[in-house]
Amino acid sequence: MADSMPLVLDHGEPMSPAPTQSLITLRGVAKTYRTAFGGEVHALAGVDLAIGEGEFVCVVGPSGCGKSTLLRLLAGLDDCEEGTLSLDGTTVTGPSSDVGVVFQAANLLPWLTVRENIRLPLRVGGRHRPAEARIDDLLGIAGLRDFGERYPYELSGGMQQRAGICRALVRDPRILLMDEPFGALDALTRERMNSELQRIWQVSGKTVLLITHSISEAIFLADRVVVMSARPGRILRELAVPIPRPRSFDTIVSSPAYPALAREIRALLNAEGDAT
Amino acid sequence: MSGAQGQALAGAPARARPAARAARGEGAHMLVAALGLVVLIGAWEAAVHLLHLPGYILPAPGAVLRALWSGIAVSPASPIGYYLPLWSTFRNAALGFLVGSGVGLLLGSVMAESRTVERLLMPYAFALQCLPKVAIAPLVVIWFGFGDGSKIAIAALLALFPVMINSFTGLRAIEPERIDLMRSLSATRFETYRLVKLPNAAPYIFAGLDMAVVYALLGTIVAEFLGAQQGMGVVITQAQSVTDVAGVFAALIILGALGMALHGVVRALERRVVHWADRGKR
Repeated sequence: MADSMPLVLDHGEPMSPAPTQSLITLRGVAKTYRTAFGGEVHALAGVDLAIGEGEFVCVVGPSGCGKSTLLRLLAGLDDCEEGTLSLDGTTVTGPSSDVGVVFQAANLLPWLTVRENIRLPLRVGGRHRPAEARIDDLLGIAGLRDFGERYPYELSGGMQQRAGICRALVRDPRILLMDEPFGALDALTRERMNSELQRIWQVSGKTVLLITHSISEAIFLADRVVVMSARPGRILRELAVPIPRPRSFDTIVSSPAYPALAREIRALLNAEGDAT
Repeated sequence: MSGAQGQALAGAPARARPAARAARGEGAHMLVAALGLVVLIGAWEAAVHLLHLPGYILPAPGAVLRALWSGIAVSPASPIGYYLPLWSTFRNAALGFLVGSGVGLLLGSVMAESRTVERLLMPYAFALQCLPKVAIAPLVVIWFGFGDGSKIAIAALLALFPVMINSFTGLRAIEPERIDLMRSLSATRFETYRLVKLPNAAPYIFAGLDMAVVYALLGTIVAEFLGAQQGMGVVITQAQSVTDVAGVFAALIILGALGMALHGVVRALERRVVHWADRGKR
């Protein structure tokens, strides 16, 4: 019964990059942190953003521009004091089971095996439903079929992060929030992980918001790249990426859209770097 | 679990060589330690004979071994053997350890979870920590009498503090990312404690248990010195009362062996439970 839970991993085709109705909506979102010394840090100011179902959006911006704040707000880990965030029309008031979060540096629990780590979200909230078949599916999709009984320290950084993605997917959320998930990996592993993520996204049909420092990663993955300003973070520009999928790093650089997009994003970010 | 064993077996050839080297290293260490022991006993025997030390100051190793043998080579039910007093001391120390560590873990957990409880209890915890706790032993004997109760109580009292402080420290040492993970899953406070904070604190808690088990034995012996019907502390005081110094030495060797055995049990448990600790930082 529980094993026949729908996987929603069978969307053969990627979703259209032009959404008709938005799943994630931010209106005038602002966030100010109070520091321990009584100061204030304006992390976000007046952010408006709409993301459609099945869309893959990458957010790039200078360091400390509030990208991670944006993600924390959407994950329900922080509250915003201005503006509204809503998921599928419902205002975000806290963490939701519709949202899976992929953290920087995998954040696996070292005392659990890979399989137990992926099972963790199912052990919370008194669910305890058997889902070994689903975990097996996810391990297969992430290329970790033979590593379920290993411990995280026995895995490479890239494998650990793939396990982290499986953990975020195990509750079958509609939305995947990823906070610089591949930032700690070397360039080659990172490219491979980007291809993997594209494939996982294409089979799962999830809506993804991914925070990154890397322009090439953003263009490779995104339907739409959102460029943010330096603190307080605002949205400078949203750029559609009209490159057909599935994309590969071999072919993407020869796509005519790629260099223009990269140049534009870099120019926007450099202008911000000069401004601060 | 058979899957995990299969994985371990599959990985065995790659790991065999360092393991063999480690085993060889361990063998060499054991040899050095054994040689050291032989030299020590030889020097001891020589000193006793050359300096003409009387047996009531320092008995020769031979006399100690004879006393040891007379306590070991008897029926387990014999009143002059080590078995009955050793069992009594072990049982009281173990019970005291379990009670003390249990209460210590509970108090440490409640203090880690609640700032209010922390502010309420921490001053007393530190005050009691600074007090030499064996000084409370006479009071405990008045309250609990000369039976097993006072032994268990003093053992528990000494075992409580290292476990309480280490649990508290370990539970507070949780990485914020792990808390974020549990929050993003809408975990309850108890789920976060049970699934993340407690296992995360396990290396700290085991360091506390490691101290606590030796303290529990110490507490039991001190309580036995103050008055008891049985126990290794009684064996020592009885031998002392007739200046049977060899008998005291023999009892101390037995106690040392018990202490090492208890320590070994905790360490073995630790290796099983927190096998990930050294390697699993990420």
